[in-house]
Amino acid sequence: MLVKVNSAAISGLDGFVVEVEVDSIRGLPGQSIVGLPDAAVKESRDRVKFAITNSGFEFPPGYFTINLAPADIRKEGPLYDLPIAIGMLASSEQIKIDKLSETVILGELSLDGGLRPVNGVLPMCMSIKGNGIKRVIVPKENADEAALVSEVEVISCENLLEAADFLNGKIAIKPHVIDIKSLFSSGGSYDIDFSDVKGQSHAKRALEVAAAGGHNVLMVGSPGSGKTMLARRLPTILPPLSIKEALDVTKLYSITGLLSSKKSLITERPFRSPHHTTSDIGIIGGGRIPRPGEVSLAHMGILFLDEFSEFERKVLEVLRQPLEDGVVTIARAMSSVTFPAEFMLVAAMNPCPCGNYMDPTKSCTCPSHKVQRYWGKLSGPLIDRIDLHVEVPRLKKEELSSKSPGEMSESIRERVSRARNIQIRRFASTQVRCNARMLPKHVKEFCKLDNEAESLLKSAILQLKMSGRAYDRILKVSRTIADLDGSEMIKANHIAEAIQYRSLDRAK
Amino acid sequence: MKIAVYYGMGNESTTLGKEGETIAVQYLIEHGYKILDRNYHSQQGEIDIIAKEGDFLVFVEVKMYSIGSYGTPLGAIRRSKKESMIHAARTYLFKNNIKNINCRFDVLAIYRSWKGLSNFDLIKDAFHVS
Repeated sequence: MLVKVNSAAISGLDGFVVEVEVDSIRGLPGQSIVGLPDAAVKESRDRVKFAITNSGFEFPPGYFTINLAPADIRKEGPLYDLPIAIGMLASSEQIKIDKLSETVILGELSLDGGLRPVNGVLPMCMSIKGNGIKRVIVPKENADEAALVSEVEVISCENLLEAADFLNGKIAIKPHVIDIKSLFSSGGSYDIDFSDVKGQSHAKRALEVAAAGGHNVLMVGSPGSGKTMLARRLPTILPPLSIKEALDVTKLYSITGLLSSKKSLITERPFRSPHHTTSDIGIIGGGRIPRPGEVSLAHMGILFLDEFSEFERKVLEVLRQPLEDGVVTIARAMSSVTFPAEFMLVAAMNPCPCGNYMDPTKSCTCPSHKVQRYWGKLSGPLIDRIDLHVEVPRLKKEELSSKSPGEMSESIRERVSRARNIQIRRFASTQVRCNARMLPKHVKEFCKLDNEAESLLKSAILQLKMSGRAYDRILKVSRTIADLDGSEMIKANHIAEAIQYRSLDRAK
Repeated sequence: MKIAVYYGMGNESTTLGKEGETIAVQYLIEHGYKILDRNYHSQQGEIDIIAKEGDFLVFVEVKMYSIGSYGTPLGAIRRSKKESMIHAARTYLFKNNIKNINCRFDVLAIYRSWKGLSNFDLIKDAFHVS
């Protein structure tokens, strides 16, 4: 008997319904899976066979053909185990078919018939409504994630038998529900705080500006001056994610399989710090079937590149396009996918290979050509895209031994949130979320300078020979500084602070 | 029909094989199989016993284990053997114009002991066409 079971698949960030058609003929025993399955899907034959017999069902005789429609899109992953098993059981009349047309089924089977969690449940559940779908059957570990989007009933099952009993009407399973608001309130506490970092008030101020406007930062300083420490504490002063942003981030983590079963919604801003040996594909995303890379995993959060100049040049250059656009489009022979990548780039590096260049107390031992080569890795266009260049000098003795704690993250976060709220109101009618992402027309509209500021900026541009992009960046940063100040107009002191954050332009 | 462990010269093993098959047929009949054919050969394959059990057409491979030999019957079914059985089964179905019947591949292992007694191990639905 021909049976159709609904399941789902992911293409990029969007899910779609996949029909699993199961039919059998009498003849030599066997199964074949068609519809562009990958290795994991093909292997599901063996898992399904044992799961069915170990769940106390009879393995149906005959030759089965299992078609995953639409047949022209590649299917990957083990999530079709459960729909295939249910299809075979329904085809041999061991499961009733009346509920199948309105149910989407996802899940990997283990040999004993138990259900294992699968990736991408959230984006799949977001896109299966309509088509008369009323409910989705998912493994227990994925239930929270599926329930985040409450458009369909979520039935969580522990094993094949439970799912079969549910479909046969033998048992009733209450739809799984979850309270997003309570998930939000439970998260958001950090073990680290800005007050842990001694001194460095200049760098802290720069990071505050960066957090307030979503700007990119490059920190340059000798080893042990606290660059990494500062960067790790940056998430603690960022405003919390909104529900929509959290869902966007969770979607990305769901398809990458980085979501733990205990934490179904990502409520904290991501902080990604890939090692400097990471490849360009690892950073940007890719693969035969495109997967999000580090820039997308840092969406709505921070991408921290420690030892910035140790990264391969190719890796650094691929950052340019997502830094500008906030999205990455990955084209492969199979498909072309666009992933969001609105992240704050925080980079840290030493001023030279030995780390003591420009240090007031220690002398640098690097020959000048080595320093040049070290800096040569950072191309002009890349530096241009980094709004704030911050020097993080070595701490003085008295600063190191001082007992007075710095400002707490919480009070900085309050100022940052205030500035961000001004921006949200300002950009309410646009797609932009923060000052750093302003388009040229927004810069023209919102960055109003008073006379003094105007003349200061003009002379700075002339004297420092800045690029057009650097000019735009200065305006954006000064807009953020003015927001922190609560000022509608950009004043001379705002411009002045913004200009001094372009130290690498000045050094040229 | 293959003997897992050969002892002595060729004649002896053939005798053992014949003997094994006779015991196998007896055992299968006792267990409700209706024997249709024995030692069926196609160009590239062979099947020891073809029988009918209930609604199923069953292709049986007989494995003879003499005393002191190791291994399990499924371990002794290699891919080439599987393919040879599947080929023979397809040929059988086609030549006899058999359609619309569920088929099965069984393996019958016979373990001999010194006293001339045998232990049987019948594995139903031992493998599938892949």
